[in-house]
Amino acid sequence: MRSIRTRPEPLAAALVAAAGALLGVPLGCSGPLPAPIAVTGDAADAPARGGTLHLASFTDMRSLDPATGPDGLAMQAVTLLYDGLVDIDRGSNVVPDLAERWEIDDRGRTYRFTLRAGVRMHDGQELTADDVKRSVERALHPTTPNPQASLFEGLLGYADYVAGRAPHLAGVVVEGARVVSFLLAEPDAAFLTLAALPSLRPVCRSAGERYEATFSPCGAGPFRVEPGGWQRGASLRLVRHEGYFRPGLPYLDAVEWQFLVVTNSQRFRFLAGEQDLVVDPTQADYARYVRDPRWRPLGVPLVDNTTWGEAMNTRMPPFDNVEIRRAVAAAVDREHYALLRPANMVPASQLLPRGVIGYDPTIVGQVYDERAALEHMRKAGYPYDPATGKGGWPAPVVYTVPDQTTNFYTSQILQQTLARIGIRLELRLVSWPAYLALTQRAGSSAFHPQGNTEDYADPSAFFDMLFTTSSIRDEGSANTAFYSNPRFDDRVGRARHEMNPVARRALYRDAGELLCDEAPWAFAWGLHDFVIRQPYVRGFAAHPVWPLDVRTVWLDRPDEAGRVLRGGLR
Amino acid sequence: MTWLLRRVGWAVFVVWAVVSLAFVVNNLVPGDPARMVAGVQARPADVARIREQLGLGAPPLVQYARFWRRLVHVGPRDVAKGDPVHSSCGVVIALGHEALHVDLGRSYQLGQPVVDVVATRLPRTFALALAGLLLQLLFGVATGALAASRRGSWIDRWVVGTSVLGVSAPTFLIALVLQIIFAQTLRWLPLDGFGKTFADHARCLVLPALTLGVYGAAYYTRLTRDELSVLLQQDWIRTARAKGLPPRGVLRHALRAALVPLVTSAGLDFGALMGGAVVTEQVFRWPGLGQLAVTAMLNRDGPLILASVVVSSVAIVASSVAVDALQLRLDPRTRARS
Repeated sequence: MRSIRTRPEPLAAALVAAAGALLGVPLGCSGPLPAPIAVTGDAADAPARGGTLHLASFTDMRSLDPATGPDGLAMQAVTLLYDGLVDIDRGSNVVPDLAERWEIDDRGRTYRFTLRAGVRMHDGQELTADDVKRSVERALHPTTPNPQASLFEGLLGYADYVAGRAPHLAGVVVEGARVVSFLLAEPDAAFLTLAALPSLRPVCRSAGERYEATFSPCGAGPFRVEPGGWQRGASLRLVRHEGYFRPGLPYLDAVEWQFLVVTNSQRFRFLAGEQDLVVDPTQADYARYVRDPRWRPLGVPLVDNTTWGEAMNTRMPPFDNVEIRRAVAAAVDREHYALLRPANMVPASQLLPRGVIGYDPTIVGQVYDERAALEHMRKAGYPYDPATGKGGWPAPVVYTVPDQTTNFYTSQILQQTLARIGIRLELRLVSWPAYLALTQRAGSSAFHPQGNTEDYADPSAFFDMLFTTSSIRDEGSANTAFYSNPRFDDRVGRARHEMNPVARRALYRDAGELLCDEAPWAFAWGLHDFVIRQPYVRGFAAHPVWPLDVRTVWLDRPDEAGRVLRGGLR
Repeated sequence: MTWLLRRVGWAVFVVWAVVSLAFVVNNLVPGDPARMVAGVQARPADVARIREQLGLGAPPLVQYARFWRRLVHVGPRDVAKGDPVHSSCGVVIALGHEALHVDLGRSYQLGQPVVDVVATRLPRTFALALAGLLLQLLFGVATGALAASRRGSWIDRWVVGTSVLGVSAPTFLIALVLQIIFAQTLRWLPLDGFGKTFADHARCLVLPALTLGVYGAAYYTRLTRDELSVLLQQDWIRTARAKGLPPRGVLRHALRAALVPLVTSAGLDFGALMGGAVVTEQVFRWPGLGQLAVTAMLNRDGPLILASVVVSSVAIVASSVAVDALQLRLDPRTRARS
């Protein structure tokens, strides 16, 4: 076994190391990587209990309240702190969690959950159906800053409840100490996956009936927050919930995050064995890891759950002409995009990413074909001759792009690509908040990139929001292509209520092909995170919905008990 | 006294003007704070509800008036938990049953009273600014004086060359070098962070302070060297030398005369550092105001942005007043003019 506690180097060696690293840093190639930290066991070993998993993030954790619709980083902790009625497994199936079973009645209008007996919350109280109702009402109350509340607008009485006309949510009914039903106004095939979202996850009675910013995290998940363990803007430490209802789980004693850690510091920590995983190393580091046979098997690409496209405002010229949109969709070189960030990007030719349930590999989608693109330009009435450079759309098209993002680089590829079919782009670089404001305002941006990540495990997470007529607003429009097609609306609306999976899949297929043909977006690239881990981190695998799922991770590090952390103070 | 009152009045006006300008700019720049809280993919209905919760439904002028009305006001001495009116206030001075409150609102992103956030972070920024500035002065004045006293020698050339290097190197590069040497390789100091105990804080402060020290020292080296070089050619110095004053004594006298520009620069630098050493705080995860201000800007977190502007402008104006007062003490000519 290799010792991981390295001896301090003499000063001269330190200076040499600094000089060497400095020369290498700009090139991203600061010498050979040290070996991964060796483990004694083999892959077939049974999981061992104990140890602390050390993680880090470039960003800060904003909230640990499931009612506030946690973002990607907070979701890492929220999925450890709170269990839901149901969960999504690694195969994207809905599986029992706090509810041991459920029944669907009334042709998809009633979902009745029976809770497991003896589930203990972090405060020692037993979970009851009343806790579920109280938690749901707390999460959906109009004073709660929950950005996902309207996903549950199908619940009976939702409108009255959020308008303050009803003190309780009529659609959540306690039918016994362990039985709770959700009543919907119309059948909703996505409701079970929605039930796995944080908004429906029970919180302790100490959380009260209404949201308070001073909430102390308390739920029924495998970990709880160590007293004083959350230092905002610095770190978070979760420790095992000894009363967790699944015997033997979790394996880890604790999970600890350091926040706002810059990439270089994460690399230092990781290679010194003081951070156990790195999410999204730099592309230069990624290249080094995959080139090194010792590290290559330790890389884990997470699930493709994001699609980015070039959104074309169908109400503004030149994209009010469908042939121009088709020309752009045919001109986009998706393979070229993917070369920008090989660790994270893949070509995308349709709306649903590969890792999302409902993805249909038989859909051909939009394909790169420059000749076809030129033909579409001709049909649009703007023929372009690449040999002479004459013709094409007569004026530059403004492309709004957020600065300091991957889009800044993809926009330059797009600019070069579209120039070859007679569309000249003028890049308008703006900040991220300005980009959101401009692209979501009617008549403000003709052309811009837009992405969407899976919020919940259902195709409706993509289809409902981005392209339906009901998503169009003058300000804050979710449909930034301002695309409106009654046939598309019909297919998507029916699919949401269709309980037959085969019929549902056919409806989404039809809707998806319509999008590829009418091209409100030129689908461009899919995105996934990439994780590099030390070999002693066992049981880690990609989850289709939850980011960085470490619920079944265990550590196979012989010196774990005496691990010395020097990279940063804990 | 009149001078002081005039300066304080001017300072209040400057702070008001800067904060008002920040308010206007923050409202003119495109961006929806509610969208930044809700997330990119939130539905319009949820964004609209969050906008109302944040109080952004009111016209900007009403929000502006509310900000100044709430900034300093009289309220209850003990604020009850959950008090909807004073829950984001900080109690400054008790006045019988009442107290003077400061209210900078509640951060959109953090959901915490901004007064609490600033009160937590301000001492950390103060510590970093003070330590950084002291190191800058220590290194800068020492090497500048050395170079001036050996003008034209290889020491002078070496100091000038090194100071050019120091001025040219960005702070992130200096930070990286220090991290590689002292944290990664020698393991004498923590890579970054803040720690939990006073000893932790002190250890964590060393590298960021040193980074600022190395970066800023180059400027003070040049300033001290140039000032002293001119002063050492003056008639009164020649007279002192002719009277047999040893070189160290000559340098001490000249240094005192060079203090005026040094104090001016140091005072203004301190004010600027109190606004936050953004890059240094980011690289070393030093949880001060600079880091906070950047995050606030990126998220259009209005109350935090205004709080950062208030703190920075007050710090710079206060430093400027302090510098003026110090100059009065150090330079009799200034005293005569005022």
